[in-house]
Amino acid sequence: MKPSASSVRLRLTLWYTSVLALIVLAFSLAVFLFVKDRLFRQFDRGITKEFAAVAIEVAEDAGDFGDIESPSMFEVFRGGVSIFRSASFRKAGLPESPGVPTAGIRTVRSGGGERFRLQAGPVKSDRFLVVAQDEEPVWNALHTLLAILYLALPIALLLAALGGYVLAGRLLAPVGAMARQAEKIGAESLSERLPVKNPDDEFGKLAAVFNQTLSRLQSAFERLQRFTADASHELRTPLAALRSVGEVALQEDLDVTAYRDRIGSMLEETSRLTNLVESLLVLTRADSGRLPMNRKPADIGALVGKAVEDLRVLAEERNQNLTADLPAGVLVSTDEGLLRQAVVNILDNAIKYTPPGGTIRVAMRGQPGVAGIEVVDSGPGIPADQRDKIFDRFYRVEKDRPRDAGGVGLGLAIAKWAVEANGGAIEVESREGQGSTFRIVLPK
Amino acid sequence: MKILVIEDDRKIAQALKKGLESEGYEIDVASTGSEGGDRAATRAFDLIVLDLMLPGRDGLEILTAVRGRGDATPVIILTAKDTIQDRVVGLDAGADDYLVKPFAFPELSARIRALLRRGAGGTTGPLVKLGLADLEMDAARREASRGGRALALTAREFDLLEYLLRNQGRVVTREMLAADVWKETRRATPLDNVIDVHIARLRKKIDEPFAVRLLHTVRGVGFILREESA
Repeated sequence: MKPSASSVRLRLTLWYTSVLALIVLAFSLAVFLFVKDRLFRQFDRGITKEFAAVAIEVAEDAGDFGDIESPSMFEVFRGGVSIFRSASFRKAGLPESPGVPTAGIRTVRSGGGERFRLQAGPVKSDRFLVVAQDEEPVWNALHTLLAILYLALPIALLLAALGGYVLAGRLLAPVGAMARQAEKIGAESLSERLPVKNPDDEFGKLAAVFNQTLSRLQSAFERLQRFTADASHELRTPLAALRSVGEVALQEDLDVTAYRDRIGSMLEETSRLTNLVESLLVLTRADSGRLPMNRKPADIGALVGKAVEDLRVLAEERNQNLTADLPAGVLVSTDEGLLRQAVVNILDNAIKYTPPGGTIRVAMRGQPGVAGIEVVDSGPGIPADQRDKIFDRFYRVEKDRPRDAGGVGLGLAIAKWAVEANGGAIEVESREGQGSTFRIVLPK
Repeated sequence: MKILVIEDDRKIAQALKKGLESEGYEIDVASTGSEGGDRAATRAFDLIVLDLMLPGRDGLEILTAVRGRGDATPVIILTAKDTIQDRVVGLDAGADDYLVKPFAFPELSARIRALLRRGAGGTTGPLVKLGLADLEMDAARREASRGGRALALTAREFDLLEYLLRNQGRVVTREMLAADVWKETRRATPLDNVIDVHIARLRKKIDEPFAVRLLHTVRGVGFILREESA
């Protein structure tokens, strides 16, 4: 992870520097060309002025030109023949013109390789003047400029690269910090979070998203831990009963009937274990999405009615008044077995928690597009802070309820899953002391 | 009647052997796949109880070999694999029945009886007149009486009593009742309490007014309808 972080840093710096190099190069070139153009224009203006000054003298001169006072080098032609060269002109070693040069401005090289700027033009009718000026100072200035650019460019780029590298390092530092922190977070330290320096920048947002993921992981992990602890407790209890009943029976001298009774007791624990394993298996398969669904249109009223009739005896045993108001002909595409299981579990739960003599009302409350099944009991209700938890696996509102009094606390978890697998939702409304309403809502 | 039990778990194999022998069957136990396959190929059995996950040779392989020979011996698969997919594969391979571990022994026994009955060419259809001691039932007219006195049974109680009468003298488990009387296909549905309440009510109607009790609870297993008290 470290090399990849620093390679991002390196890549950033490289990119940055390359782009900067291109820009600076283009800029330097532009500056050079601009300055060159300017210098030559200026130079040419100077030579043109000089040419004008010398031209007046040449025009007025009688013929020997020797006394013309001019710092410039010049040559005079008459009738196509060079008739005068200034001393400096000769000294410069400028090439002899073959015949009369054409009028205009141009650069020539002397025998010594030096560059001279020539301005040529006619003066009066028979005289032709060439004024020359040493171009080298201009070139020297340009070369100096180039040298400065050559030298400054790499230094500037180096500095920029260094700066960029440092800056990229600074920018990327939170990534490294996050990585180091994330590396330390394992199953044992899921409660730790990444530092968020600035929640509004990109890294801050990344860290926040990462932290949210961690939160979800943490709660999933805690649920799993709790579930495992609960499951092993629920599995251990019947195992312990099995074991102790068996061990004690072996120590005693009993008659056949008594032994049968002990064995029967052990078998009861076995079937409790079996039921528990079955329920856990259903939920595990549900979690992994491997439970096959067989959805087809079913008459919900009839389905619920059958569940109610099956469980009616339980309510009767407790002197509860179980009423059902179920219209026929409400069709919902559903896996009948699963939905029946959900309804049975909820109804079973309502009967279990409603005191003897209470009432349980089963009704259908449809709304456009959805079918609703309502189970209203007159039990003790569910405290508000536990309303979400009752669908958790192994959750029981009354912690101290004797084990025999009910199931293991998976019924509602299975019901919730079964309804959701059918594309529906399960809701619960309750006021403490005033009973609860469980509502299954299924899309039609 | 000879039954071949191919099962690698020694305890289960021994329990099956003892249990089935006590019901009058002759039992041959094979504890590996290859042994079971050989045994099935070389001897004739009336029925085979087959575990799927076996050392040596897979149970399905044995089943395929048996059916490949054109051998129509009834086969009950006994396995911990319980998905619908597993069942389909097992039944498609030619099994006649499929029982998931942990199973109730009375249920296995009942299924073996059913398969052997079917293999024997089928009886003359289900009996209509059923009875035990002074308890009588006309399944077609849905009437039952004990000692000449008509019993007022609900529909469910009648079905329950009919099932018990058809299996009289044998233990019937709650799982069997849930599946056969309540037609509940799913395990892990809380019907046990419902069954217990119905049994209690049925007992009140057919036993309480009379001197001899017929409906007995076998603790931890289920219920049995028989004349002598247990």
